[in-house]
Amino acid sequence: MQTVTLSLKEKNAIPIEADTINPDNFASKSKDEIGAILVWYGNAQVTIGEVFDVAVDGSDSTENTKIVINGDVSRVKRIGQEMSAGEIEINSNVDMHCGSNMTGGKITINGDADSWVGCEMKGGEIVVNGNGSYYVGGGYRGEACGMKGGKITVTGNVRDYLGEHMCGGEIVVKGDAGLLPGISNNGGSIIIEGSTTMPASEMKAGTIIIKGEAAELMPSFAEDGTEDVDGVTYRKFAGDVNANGKGVLLVK
Amino acid sequence: MSELLIKNAVVCDPINNVNCEKMDISVKDGKIVESVSSGAKVIDAGGKLTMAGGVDGHTHCAGKINVGRFMSPHDMRMTNVPGLSGKEAPTATTRAQVGYNTPNAFAIGYRYAKMGYTTIGEAAIPIIGARHTHEEFEAIPILDKFGLTLFGSNWQVMEYIRDDEPEKLAAYVAWGLKASRGYGIKIVNPGGGEAWGWGKNVSGLDDPVPNFDVTPAQIIMGLAEANEKLNLPHSIHLHCNNLGKPGNYETTIASMKLLENLKSNRDRQVLHVTHVQFNAYGGTSWRDFESAAPQVSDYINSTDHMTFDLGQAIFGPAMTMTADGPVEYANSRMLNAKWSNMDVELEDASGVVPITYSPKNFVNAVQWAIGLELALLVDDPWKVMFTTDSPNGGSFVNYPEAYTYLMSAKRRAEIIETLPEMALGRMNIPGIDRELDLYELAIMTRAMQSKMYCMDTKGHLGVGADADIAIYDIKPDSVDTTVEYVAVKKAFSGAAYTIKSGEVVVKDGEIAMTPEGRTYWVNAKMPQATVDAMQVDVAKKFKKYYTVSQANYMVEDAYLPHPVEITTEAL
Amino acid sequence: MAVITDAICSLCGSLCDDITVTVEDNVITDVERACILGRNKFVGMFLHDRIESPMIRKNGELVDVSYEEAIDEAAKILVNSKRTLSYGWCSTSCEAISKAIQLAEETGSLIDSTANVCHGPSALAVQEKGGPSATLGAVKNRADVVIFWGCNPAHAHPRHMSRYSSFSKGFFTQKGRKDRKMIVIDVRKTDTAKLADTYVEIDQGSDYLLVTALRSAINGHEDVIPDTVAGVSKEDVLELANVLKEAKYTCVFYGMGVTQSRSKYKNGDGVSSLISDINQHSKAVMIGMRGHYNVTGFGQVATWETGFPMAIDFTRGAPYYNPGETGANDVLTRGDVDAAIISAADPGAHFPQDSLKYLAKIPVIQIDPYANPTTELSDVVFPAAVVGVEAEGTAYRMDGISLRMKKLIDTKFKTDEEIAVDLINKVRELKGGA
Ligand SMILES: [Zn+2]
Repeated sequence: MQTVTLSLKEKNAIPIEADTINPDNFASKSKDEIGAILVWYGNAQVTIGEVFDVAVDGSDSTENTKIVINGDVSRVKRIGQEMSAGEIEINSNVDMHCGSNMTGGKITINGDADSWVGCEMKGGEIVVNGNGSYYVGGGYRGEACGMKGGKITVTGNVRDYLGEHMCGGEIVVKGDAGLLPGISNNGGSIIIEGSTTMPASEMKAGTIIIKGEAAELMPSFAEDGTEDVDGVTYRKFAGDVNANGKGVLLVK
Repeated sequence: MSELLIKNAVVCDPINNVNCEKMDISVKDGKIVESVSSGAKVIDAGGKLTMAGGVDGHTHCAGKINVGRFMSPHDMRMTNVPGLSGKEAPTATTRAQVGYNTPNAFAIGYRYAKMGYTTIGEAAIPIIGARHTHEEFEAIPILDKFGLTLFGSNWQVMEYIRDDEPEKLAAYVAWGLKASRGYGIKIVNPGGGEAWGWGKNVSGLDDPVPNFDVTPAQIIMGLAEANEKLNLPHSIHLHCNNLGKPGNYETTIASMKLLENLKSNRDRQVLHVTHVQFNAYGGTSWRDFESAAPQVSDYINSTDHMTFDLGQAIFGPAMTMTADGPVEYANSRMLNAKWSNMDVELEDASGVVPITYSPKNFVNAVQWAIGLELALLVDDPWKVMFTTDSPNGGSFVNYPEAYTYLMSAKRRAEIIETLPEMALGRMNIPGIDRELDLYELAIMTRAMQSKMYCMDTKGHLGVGADADIAIYDIKPDSVDTTVEYVAVKKAFSGAAYTIKSGEVVVKDGEIAMTPEGRTYWVNAKMPQATVDAMQVDVAKKFKKYYTVSQANYMVEDAYLPHPVEITTEAL
Repeated sequence: MAVITDAICSLCGSLCDDITVTVEDNVITDVERACILGRNKFVGMFLHDRIESPMIRKNGELVDVSYEEAIDEAAKILVNSKRTLSYGWCSTSCEAISKAIQLAEETGSLIDSTANVCHGPSALAVQEKGGPSATLGAVKNRADVVIFWGCNPAHAHPRHMSRYSSFSKGFFTQKGRKDRKMIVIDVRKTDTAKLADTYVEIDQGSDYLLVTALRSAINGHEDVIPDTVAGVSKEDVLELANVLKEAKYTCVFYGMGVTQSRSKYKNGDGVSSLISDINQHSKAVMIGMRGHYNVTGFGQVATWETGFPMAIDFTRGAPYYNPGETGANDVLTRGDVDAAIISAADPGAHFPQDSLKYLAKIPVIQIDPYANPTTELSDVVFPAAVVGVEAEGTAYRMDGISLRMKKLIDTKFKTDEEIAVDLINKVRELKGGA
């Protein structure tokens, strides 16, 4: 087991882009080696050692590497981007694109995650013990697929466009979701335990379950009886008819 | 005065019948000369393959490609061809680069130059949108540019053909070329652009265009005759009706036959048919879809009046863009893909739709085969221009990969092995063993263009030619292109040297400097009385139907900072 | 006295090119055919106070300085910045925009246009579904149904309806307005709506629901449409859908009521899908009613130079694009930049309070012919020529047609393009020296 602890020295205003902070890059590296890895700070590159205090305990493979991040990293973007294994624990709010394109491993955020958390993720797990923001599990601009695999759990609320263009994987939101969750869903599964507005538009495939109130259902879904899930009976809708969709939307 | 001496070059220069022979090339002030002084800068080519700079005579590089860029930000990060795609930060010599199918203007210049190309032709300029095309031309570094102007669904053109006014038609074409600073006549799905104004299409050569009482066949003939009357350096450049439809090869051959008896006063074809891969489809539906390359090739082998280009398909993501508006809409519905469209007032239409050619998809696999079959079944390489109709069949950065398909049956077999069984029965490529040599490749990628566009200073290395030269890091004396396709691809992907107008713009596959290229356009002269009569009709169009005034329609000199004006006299 | 014909009005995205301008003693004394807004731009410029001299803020006050001193000071701000926001560049020429992009690239800045507060969502919509469009002349000559959705050309684009749309006469529309059905969809009965054959009033922010219901109707799924959608009865939805199916040629002109209301770019995305669906039955296109005369040009130039139409971030060298993260207001509300350069735009009057508060905290460079609320926030100010009047150059009409603006009168002021070039050169000098 290798544990790397990064503690932000001083809170930054201009965002740091830290796509190099992931277990793949840290595994079996020493404190100095990790400290020398570059991150972007505005339009210049600085070392991790310049912005974080680095502590390393042990040396191990990617799967057995855990990164613990302390201090206010709410202006540090792209932590855990493209990670394939191992673990990251963030004890703070975190900036955009956390865990984007990850293929495996686990990220736990003990705070809020800014937009595009789990963007285009393909595997692994992200747990946000706080609120998400826009485009949880979404995709890059213009891309046909957002999240393709893995699981994202948000214990709080999220904002608009949850799981936009999702092509696979699973998202659970314990609180409320903003506008248009699951828009253009193409095979993902979404559970919203709270309330939301205009869900599932242009859904082609997949399942969306809304346990709270679903306001303003889209005029493009056909009601199709009921369905029981875990002992609860939901109204079942099929659509989106305009996308010749085979998606299933369950609402109370 | 700058002088350059390239020593020990193994030169493949088909225009001058030089078949990969060792020689020296002298360059002075941007031109190939007999000899240079002893003070000339020397490049030792060390026996490497040397050709004239490549000429891509049909590519979508300025204008409509911007629609493709606009709708696909995700293309900007695609890295499908390492070194020639994706994002690159600016350097001391180069601007920032992005993209794969729809790279930014800077990347288009750099990447073509890296592949040893020095001249490119934009395949479709709407006259009213020509200013935009020339703005993008100006932004493309290094390369010389020219563009073909759309006339095939133009109201004035159709009216003159309907009213049997060939003189005025020629005068209008000349004026349209001047207005757009175009190099030649492009005809896309003749009449189809106008029909698309009502959401319709024309079904073939004899299907009249709604409200205009002319047929596609008449449009093609009328414009071809005007083309010869004006003595233009290029023939008409035809995108046939029924593109992309199973069974369309019959329309394609019929379109080719139309021009069989037309005579030209210039030493070139009277017809160029473009991206024939998309127009050589057999079968009656997508279910019984098959290659009709043999039928089309048989016809082309039987005649001498035409040239064509491939529109080779490349597996992976591509971006279709054409003035064929109805085809693009149909594509978008069939593929469930994004659709951009532009109906161009009084002139034409266009559309842009992304596509992915998958080797697992039987239709795509057959499309891939058809392009290669056309190249290999047509006997005379001087009739064949190599293209992917970039980015319709695939991005131009795949040219080096595609060369290996043409030059190596072994390489082809590797691909064929991955294709679905069902596709193999619908294609002929597995049974074709022809392998192009470097000389034939030089014909298809630069020499035939010199003839087909009557560009005397392009596509060859004879004295008087522009000193546009590509030196590739393979040695014709020792390389076996039929098996060493990895080395072939690598060499063509990053030239050892690309020299443009006598200056080294690429060295060891990297951009060395970025001079500005020139823009070629044709000023065709007609008798003033005919021009005046034509102008009366055109003035009415502006007064009643156009939304820009005639004074603001013509592309101003400011948009061609380095123009090359080709003047012709009408017969 | 000089009379200049076929001059181009550089006010709104209609880019009318039939203006006749009379110039006497380097002053525009008469303007023919322009609308009241355009006329005010041509003639009004002699009534407003210009910024007369370059200025630098010293001890809290803007004081006149030499041009060289201002260039020096501005370049220093740019070179010392970790991340600059370059904003505006929509009431200027494409040539100036090109240089602004180069400046942003060379300084590792982020550059965004005024689309950030108007039609930016339209670009995002095109990136979702494409943009099925047409030149304005295609509409003039063919359209028998014209829809204005969330826009009010009677006020914002005064000559649009007569030159290009409702009232224009063309080849297949010889009778003009009589040959055409005009429909307005909006949340309130605007002056444009008063001219319409049909006015559809919808609930605020419910555009996406109406678009979707229209799609369902056109695609033959009437059954899924509830009795009322977006405040519109099912009957009216079906009737409107029927008009679209039966039309020969429909153009949907859409404005900020669509792009800036709830569901933002998904509205345009939905309209694009609607257009595609209508084309299964007839012919339809859509055109955004762009405001600033060359905001379309910014999108075009930026796209061929960087791959992206707006919100382009050169912070890491190669361009990166992500509106929501890299838009002007995204970075200002979050405090993600430490300097700003603003040209031919007035965020001081149009940005939300949070953004302005932050702008007040960081060094701001302004390039503009006129003092405006942004000047109050600025630390270095460059007076500039009025492009389209005092300087020539290219602009793009709302439908993507580019035109060459003429220089009508002489000026002592530098152009935006010249100022940008001088900044590039000074930045290179400072970086080379460092
Ligand atoms: Zn083409």
